Amino acid sequence: MKNLLAAAALLASLIIITGCNKGIEPEPERVVPPGETGFSGKITFEGSWPPGVTRTHLFVFKNAIQSAADFSFLNLSAVIDPVPYGSTQFNYDSIEMNYIEHAFLPEFKIQPGEHRYVIVAQSNNPEISFARGDWVIVGVYCIGGDQSKPRSLICNEGSITAGVDINVNFNNPPPQPPL
Amino acid sequence: MKKLITALLFFPVLILTAQTGSLKGKIISYQNDPIPGVSVVITGSQTGTATLSDGTFEIKNLPYGRYAVEVSVIGYAKRKLSVDLNAGTKPVTVILTEETIQSEQIIVSAGKYEQRVQDLPVSTAILQPEVISRRNYLTFDDALRFVPGIAVNLEQVSIRGSNGYSKGVGARVLVAVNGIPIYSGDTGDIVWELIPVIDIARVEIIKGPASSLYGSTAIGGVINIITRSAVKNPVTHFRSYFGTYDKPAYDIWKWNNNLRTFYGMELTHANSSGSLSYTFSVKKFDNMSYRENDYARRNLAYLKLNYEFSLKNYLTFFADFLNMDRGNFLYWKDSRNALVPKDEDNGNRVKSNRLFTGLIFHHTVSDKITAEFKSSFYHTKFDGYGIELTTSTADLLRNELLANFDLSNSFVLTTGLESSYSKIKSNIFKNPDFFGAGAYAQGEWKISPAASLTLGLRYDYMKLDTLKSANAAAPKAGLNYKITKDLIARASFGTGFRAPTPSEVFTTAGVGGGIDVKSNPDLKAETSVSFELGTIYNYSDDLFFDAAFYQSDYREFIEPVLTSDAKIQFVNLSRARIQGFELNTNWNLIPGELKFTAGYNYMWARDLDNHIAMKYRPLNSFTAQIDFSPGQFDFGIDFRYSSKVEQIDFTLTQFPINLVIDGSKRVPVYVTDFSAGYNFFLGGAPAKIYLNAKNIFNYNYVEFIGNIAPIRNYSVSVEVFF
Repeated sequence: MKNLLAAAALLASLIIITGCNKGIEPEPERVVPPGETGFSGKITFEGSWPPGVTRTHLFVFKNAIQSAADFSFLNLSAVIDPVPYGSTQFNYDSIEMNYIEHAFLPEFKIQPGEHRYVIVAQSNNPEISFARGDWVIVGVYCIGGDQSKPRSLICNEGSITAGVDINVNFNNPPPQPPL
Repeated sequence: MKKLITALLFFPVLILTAQTGSLKGKIISYQNDPIPGVSVVITGSQTGTATLSDGTFEIKNLPYGRYAVEVSVIGYAKRKLSVDLNAGTKPVTVILTEETIQSEQIIVSAGKYEQRVQDLPVSTAILQPEVISRRNYLTFDDALRFVPGIAVNLEQVSIRGSNGYSKGVGARVLVAVNGIPIYSGDTGDIVWELIPVIDIARVEIIKGPASSLYGSTAIGGVINIITRSAVKNPVTHFRSYFGTYDKPAYDIWKWNNNLRTFYGMELTHANSSGSLSYTFSVKKFDNMSYRENDYARRNLAYLKLNYEFSLKNYLTFFADFLNMDRGNFLYWKDSRNALVPKDEDNGNRVKSNRLFTGLIFHHTVSDKITAEFKSSFYHTKFDGYGIELTTSTADLLRNELLANFDLSNSFVLTTGLESSYSKIKSNIFKNPDFFGAGAYAQGEWKISPAASLTLGLRYDYMKLDTLKSANAAAPKAGLNYKITKDLIARASFGTGFRAPTPSEVFTTAGVGGGIDVKSNPDLKAETSVSFELGTIYNYSDDLFFDAAFYQSDYREFIEPVLTSDAKIQFVNLSRARIQGFELNTNWNLIPGELKFTAGYNYMWARDLDNHIAMKYRPLNSFTAQIDFSPGQFDFGIDFRYSSKVEQIDFTLTQFPINLVIDGSKRVPVYVTDFSAGYNFFLGGAPAKIYLNAKNIFNYNYVEFIGNIAPIRNYSVSVEVFF
């Protein structure tokens, strides 16, 4: 009986020790002002940069580009500051690096909700334009590394969605939306 | 008159209660073999009998009624059962599970011949295969996590700190099947599923360097899987399991709404015809995993043939074919996306095929001399699909000639010759070839009734492709001294060595996650000097203690490091020391019913040049297991703890590389598993059903940076023998 009690006491101790602790926890969500949202991540580049490129940006669109007309300001959610030519890695943060807000419209901010198309695109035009023909899509935020399957970006009010990473492989470009 | 009436009234009752019958039955093992000499006793009485050579028994002239019956024999766990004896009672069949007194167990790996554990100069452990099916471990290495002194970082096994984590490359623990190593020719990695659980008789573990007998890879120890001997009666075994992972501990970690499941099936048939016996098994395993792009699918076919030419000569041949397809989860995205890989790794997968064949010819030359010839061929091929295709094909041929000379009652000599050759074709390891040859001799003298001395020496020659050839001599000495019948002291001293594997020297590829591996043609073989002092104390047949102090000093210790140009490279650390203390106990609280097993290991592992801890090695670890088997039921609780590791690959987790966001997060490990089982008969066939809950508190921990270990999961498994 004493043996049984000893075993039961040991078992209870183990349960108490282990049951109270959850171990590794996620980092606390980065808080932004109420009503605002944002996202952050990293763009990695593989292969040789094409010659003549003057602009490389990360674009976020509300919906996928089904036609050239969808590549428009009306469908646009965010544009990140330009990536320097020849970069192999580019870390970004949409609040710190909101290109439209800083260059054109101070009130332009990404809205909470689902954004279905996140891409990295390059242009040979020194000026920023919304002519679809000016841009070549070189990377897509996607599911399972398959660039034909875009992954939605979910932005929640009052927080930053981290880890929106995109891999650009110049030797293996993604499918191009209609021109 | 009243007395007469009363007597007449009760007469029929007396007749009824006086009716007697025979309790008949058969006692068998889980392999359907009859067990003779088993004691079958009515609890609390002197009434009983013993089983005959065919395992049957009969207790005659028992009054009808309900009986508690105890079934026991040395070498098996005691069983209690309840029987209603009446005119319709059929013969009962009882299945016993193997269980031996710890120090009485037989082991062949320490000296390459049969020895009792209590006669050895080194620390050992024995794992019974029943624990794998009882606990429904999905892979064999999961069972090793509960062996004191063994740590498993992801799939890489380390005995007393011999390995940190290097993606399976460059193992320091030799894993063998019947003494034949099963490491691959290119990376030297191990696939644990090669042998079906049902064909495993036991797994022997040598804790500490065994290079003096086994050569290069055994610098940290040996895990030797011993398969079952030839069956005499036909037996078919079917095992199937199904399980599911629970929700992650945090909603933010939920990445998929589907149930994440795993299942497996294994069908094995063994039989004999004349001098030939065979075992054939097929197995399928599919695990969706709790993480994205971490699935695993495996298919295995296994064949073993035994042919007895005579009682003195027999041949064993076994062959495995294993096909695998798995996702290649390298690191989490970050701690808020802990079950999702980095985007650039998502979709990476590895497909591989392995064919392993082994041949053992045993020849008894005389009463004093036995010889064995062992030969194996291992073909491995893998294709890794990621940003770039990585591929490797390796063929490894090994031969060994072993002889045991039992020269007198007090002296046994074991000698052997070994050779191995491997050829690799790969776009990441270049196309190197490797040749190795070794010769060894080990003698054991019984210098007095209480003491035995072991002396051994092995010499190896190694040539890895264009690198300069290397030689190594590994001497060993050991002493076992029985202070009393129940108190045994042991000591051993030896050197070890390990040649770098082709993958450590020649790898030049991206391993994903944006990191590349750099070759190092200057990599040298590592060497070690080790000693151990230990003791066994048998307080009683039911309470056993084993304690050991150990130390290994390494020179040119091979470890992966991150270079200044942000590439992984295997380099030689000049000096490293691992020392520690291990205490194990095995306590049968209620013999045959309630057992408590525990082990504690304190380990101090230091890089002596840089004065820092060695990576991925916990200072303290503790395991405890309680097994309770009342009647036909089995219950088990397993607990393991290891302290937070001090050193990890910080260069991967910190500025400026910061490859794994939040990768420095690590915690002590507390894992508790629960199992419950029921043994029954299905249409007359012995069967068992088990429910398992793993990591019942859903504790989140990592064994390697950015890799959350399995979250809480539940499974049900069914086994039938027919």
